[in-house]
Amino acid sequence: MSGKDGTETPVIAETSRTLEDGNCESDKNSESVDHSAMPESESELAASTGRRPEVKPSSDLETSKVQETVSKEETQTGWGYWGSWGKSLLSSASATVATVGQGISSVIEKAESSLGIPSPSEISSEVKVAAAETNTRENEDSSLGAGPFGVFSTISTAVQSTGKSVIAGGLDALEFIGKKTMDVIAEGDPGFKRTKGLMNRNATLSQVLREAKEKEELWTSNEVTMETDKNTHYGLLFDEFQGLSHLEALEMLSQESEIKVRSVLNSLSGDELETLKLELEQLKEAFSLAEFCDEEEEEKKGDEDFTKEVTELFSQLHVSTKPEKLTRARNTAYEWIKAVPAKTLAENKEEEKQLEGGNTEEVSKNSIEDIHAFAIRSLAELTACSIELFHKTAALVLHGQRQNVTAIERSQTLSQVTVVLCKELSFLSREFTTSLTTVGVKEKTDSLNPLITAVFLEASNSASYIQDAFQLLLPVLELSLIENRTESPTHELQVQKPLAQQ
Amino acid sequence: MEAIWLYQFRLIVIGDSTVGKSCLIRRFTEGRFAQVSDPTVGVDFFSRLVEIEPGKRIKLQIWDTAGQERFRSITRAYYRNSVGGLLLFDITNRRSFQNVHEWLEETKVHVQPYQIVFVLVGHKCDLDTQRQVTRHEAEKLAAAYGMKYIETSARDAINVEKAFTDLTRDIYELVKRGEITIQEGWEGVKSGFVPNVVHSSEEVVKSERRCLC
Repeated sequence: MSGKDGTETPVIAETSRTLEDGNCESDKNSESVDHSAMPESESELAASTGRRPEVKPSSDLETSKVQETVSKEETQTGWGYWGSWGKSLLSSASATVATVGQGISSVIEKAESSLGIPSPSEISSEVKVAAAETNTRENEDSSLGAGPFGVFSTISTAVQSTGKSVIAGGLDALEFIGKKTMDVIAEGDPGFKRTKGLMNRNATLSQVLREAKEKEELWTSNEVTMETDKNTHYGLLFDEFQGLSHLEALEMLSQESEIKVRSVLNSLSGDELETLKLELEQLKEAFSLAEFCDEEEEEKKGDEDFTKEVTELFSQLHVSTKPEKLTRARNTAYEWIKAVPAKTLAENKEEEKQLEGGNTEEVSKNSIEDIHAFAIRSLAELTACSIELFHKTAALVLHGQRQNVTAIERSQTLSQVTVVLCKELSFLSREFTTSLTTVGVKEKTDSLNPLITAVFLEASNSASYIQDAFQLLLPVLELSLIENRTESPTHELQVQKPLAQQ
Repeated sequence: MEAIWLYQFRLIVIGDSTVGKSCLIRRFTEGRFAQVSDPTVGVDFFSRLVEIEPGKRIKLQIWDTAGQERFRSITRAYYRNSVGGLLLFDITNRRSFQNVHEWLEETKVHVQPYQIVFVLVGHKCDLDTQRQVTRHEAEKLAAAYGMKYIETSARDAINVEKAFTDLTRDIYELVKRGEITIQEGWEGVKSGFVPNVVHSSEEVVKSERRCLC
């Protein structure tokens, strides 16, 4: 596995990391995953990489230029902007195919063919089907905890069964996601399909998301829907918080940087080129997000800690932008959740006294829908804020004042930021689902579980958007590394000046 | 329903740094005036719906660019995908008025092959006592470039609505007359979603009548 070179190396490395993650859970389990996964994932991967360069239906001059250079780059190093997209996508794709098999892919297929984002009930019913299809396999594996499959099977069990004890299973799954955000990219059904579609259609992430949003718009305007209905459409909300625009702007910076980096590489030769390539290689390593298996850090942290952690990480980046908007949005979300159970419990009690049963369900039904709507809104807002931060960081890395921090240090910090953000999203989604469970205690599972599933799905989508946006920063930091190299003599002069004055 | 609009226009706001671009946009989109604001990094985004005729809404997507020179290479890239623009100068800062030529020259180079409908905005008109640019010379300059001229104040909320809605109306007219068309791969004008058929057929009837005249 390690002996491969060229295009496949990074991809396989990624796949193996996913599998190693499985190891953290239980040895017995990951073994079974290992055996079935390896051959399939490799063939899937080879097929995909082989297929990709053929798809060149570009009308735009610019894109075709990019594509040309991409295929060239692929044969050379297998990295670069598009290359790394391929890397993360392929690995997640192959992991899913290998471990999940037909069941889940049919879910994904159907979900995509219906709408940009399928309704929660739709997903849940599909998951039910998937669960039935993959039941045999699940029994063989006899596990809920390992690999991407584990998450889904847990959730499908939750959907299938009735009674409250099941929800605990669903929450376990969400807890599990915290450790496995990398794997989750694959299962975040609509998002995964969107990103997978990106590979086939040569579209950018923002284009894909824009299309999904437009589908939602079309749908909401055709259907005579209530205002509240619109409030649960992640895509529309993400755009409302300017997430799409920031993503588009980030993509522009990323593409420009990519072109510049390439032209620099083309202009170099011999030792100079080799040293630079080596440095760029180190930078890429910082972008590989390896630290999702931290058991210790998983424990719940105080409310203040996220704000503190993110603020500190941003000060390490030495860019003038501050994550206040993000931390504010996050804290608002937490305050809201905290206020929820108390309020509804009080309401319920009063209601019970006055009306004795009957209407109480009405009250709590509104409440779980409120929580669901707020959860989706918060996830969309936090994701948009995160992407805005990445966009601002890119602009400042390229055009800010020169700082005493290397591109590699910045990459490492940004990688940590990404991990923190994704963990926070999974934690937040767990808070929301806990809240849903508490408030919807009298609900039928049929109405409660789809909402829980939807929150979980959008949380994993959010995490994958953030990780994709993070990958867009790679060319930006590559360019910054190159510029720092060439400008270092003048930089030294500037440092010496004050000394001479003394 | 709120989410429904006929078109989406992308507008760009440009001009020297500290002329008040972000404050003007915030007043328009958020209805408040921010006393202190950090310089814009690269570009920021805002959006708002504008009702140009009863029941007819346009969604404005506003790109707030950084005025600082160091971000110029970023902001240049945004002209191409805008249908309209507000070119701001500060009436208390002569230099920012003199730079209007430069801004227009720059956009001309980078907007090809499309066009942007610009309005010239003399901002901070509440500070009339510190005025360094007369209304007359600003109007003359605007006319020379075929632009409208308007004076605004974000602090006192003077003409802020008018600046944006007049520009939106002008663009809407051009779109209706077919002088600006929706194009694949261009983000300047996008078609929105019309909720019922009656609405759009009414549209067709109107434009036919227009043709006969």
